[in-house]
Amino acid sequence: MGLINFLVYLAIMMGIYGILSLSLNLQYGFTGLANFGQVAFFCLGAYASTILVLVFHMPFIVGLFGGMAVAALFGFVIAIPTADLKEDYWAIVTLAAAEIVRIFFLNEDWVAGPDPYIGGAFGIGGIPQPLRSLFSPHTYPFFYLALVLVCLFATYIIINTLTASPFGRVIKSIREGDNLPQALGKDVKRFRLKVMALGGGFGGVAGCLWAHFHGFVSPEQFMPLETFIVWAMVIVGGKANNKGAIFGAVVIVIFYNCTRFLKDYIPIEEVTLASLRMVAIGILIVVAMLFMKEGLVKEKRIKESIVLKKACSE
Amino acid sequence: MTFTQVVINSIVRASELALLSLGLTIVYDILRFANFAHTEFAVVGVYVALFLNLTLGLPIVPAAVIASIATGLFSIAVDRAIFKKMRSTSGIIVMVTSLGLAIALRNTIRAIYGATAQNYSVPLQKPIMTEFFRITPLQIWIIATGAAAMVLFHLLLHHTKLGKAMRAASDDPDLAQASGIATEKIITYVWFIAITFASLGGILIGMETYILPYMGFAIIVPVFCATIMGGIGNPYGAMLGALVLGFAENFGLYINFGKILSLGGLLGQNKGLFIPTGYKPAISFVILIVVLLIRPRGILGKKKEG
Repeated sequence: MGLINFLVYLAIMMGIYGILSLSLNLQYGFTGLANFGQVAFFCLGAYASTILVLVFHMPFIVGLFGGMAVAALFGFVIAIPTADLKEDYWAIVTLAAAEIVRIFFLNEDWVAGPDPYIGGAFGIGGIPQPLRSLFSPHTYPFFYLALVLVCLFATYIIINTLTASPFGRVIKSIREGDNLPQALGKDVKRFRLKVMALGGGFGGVAGCLWAHFHGFVSPEQFMPLETFIVWAMVIVGGKANNKGAIFGAVVIVIFYNCTRFLKDYIPIEEVTLASLRMVAIGILIVVAMLFMKEGLVKEKRIKESIVLKKACSE
Repeated sequence: MTFTQVVINSIVRASELALLSLGLTIVYDILRFANFAHTEFAVVGVYVALFLNLTLGLPIVPAAVIASIATGLFSIAVDRAIFKKMRSTSGIIVMVTSLGLAIALRNTIRAIYGATAQNYSVPLQKPIMTEFFRITPLQIWIIATGAAAMVLFHLLLHHTKLGKAMRAASDDPDLAQASGIATEKIITYVWFIAITFASLGGILIGMETYILPYMGFAIIVPVFCATIMGGIGNPYGAMLGALVLGFAENFGLYINFGKILSLGGLLGQNKGLFIPTGYKPAISFVILIVVLLIRPRGILGKKKEG
């Protein structure tokens, strides 16, 4: 039973991080937006949903869409000052914005209600799990896994449809530089805002699923390192390929969780192990950038010859 | 806290930030990428100095100098191993790589030294007290080091052959190379200067406050903000940006916004309204956003897009 529980837990994490990875892939992989603050959406989705469900006694589904809306709005707003600028500015603005979001929830404990020991650094506990009463403690994780997979699948279908559509071609051309899309009369700024809002929304969904699974949120769960883990997923999995993004999430979640057992075999402290795990993530990013820029699953590029053939036959 | 005290604190902070943002900006200027590992290199210097100071028992001044030079050399090695292979790669890819490097460096330090705060062994110094302010000898040192580094860099840039070559490579790398300037050699010097200065800045911050593996992340936003505010790639802009940000961070917490909002008591009661200290990191972020909205290329920004 222990092993099965662990596998279900792993699968749930893969699903949640898969959504985050798909969302970052839409922003970075397809559009070239260097979002170093992905954790902000995750955090906002988690907190918004928690507050809606716990303080305002709304049903889970309202929390889910509420978390999505708040995170999407944040993505939109944060993109406004940077929408015309180069990726260097994107990176630092999003990185800083994510820290501000965390500092906000650390300092403002009133958002979680009047109780002085709930919210802020104390975190918020007792977040209800959706439809908990219908299942036994043994079967509930399976239900939650199904819920996560449905969300992952929906995210995948939506993002895949979008990226295969004309919208997808425009954002890919934005990634290669502003000149071409601008010459074709596309409003580059508007597309960037849309992508940030969309990606933000999906990040919010992941946050909501995370919060209701663990039943507890606190600012220290949303440290910048979460962002970097998602970056490793996108880079290792293969940018601008949605299957690759999910694959990257699977690989990194397995790596991240299975290294926990190392301490049973080598005498090493938990804290040191946690640091070494992040060292490995950092090195993985550097190595992937140096030696396999395309990642494990390559982007499907439209071949010139196909385009030419099509153009000639018409 | 008196007004004079806040001014002094601001200048101290500006000196520290200037040492860090100068390096970030010259690396950007020559290599065209935003180095997210910049402040982490500084932390490497901080811990090397800690090792020399605590473990080997060296006094802090030689420890700081040796550590900064060693970290400068280390950054050249890292450049040879990683960034040299990416000279023709687009800035965004190199930037993401530097992020990976930053994560690896920060956590290596944490794995070795743990996450607890540490201090250099520095002899206790008596602060100089006056009616209006107090200043420690260390703070005088920080200001002096910052100012000396800026003057030194100015002299280097305008009165040496290397400086001339650096300016040429910054204006047009291809033309510089065609004119017989060894770009790779300049890059090596730029890394050394940038990271030695950054490491010195980090050590001074460590001496004034405390040493933590996460201190690099804590200063990355102010350092980037100062750099961008002055116009990224412009060394004098970085100094000006550091000065503005030093003052903004300290005065942001000192000013009673209630007084301003009520127009000095004209509109209703003058309640004390201060920015809570927990939001100090937000000040540089807000300034960054304002700068990006009004003047994206910075106060002294170059006209051309890099």
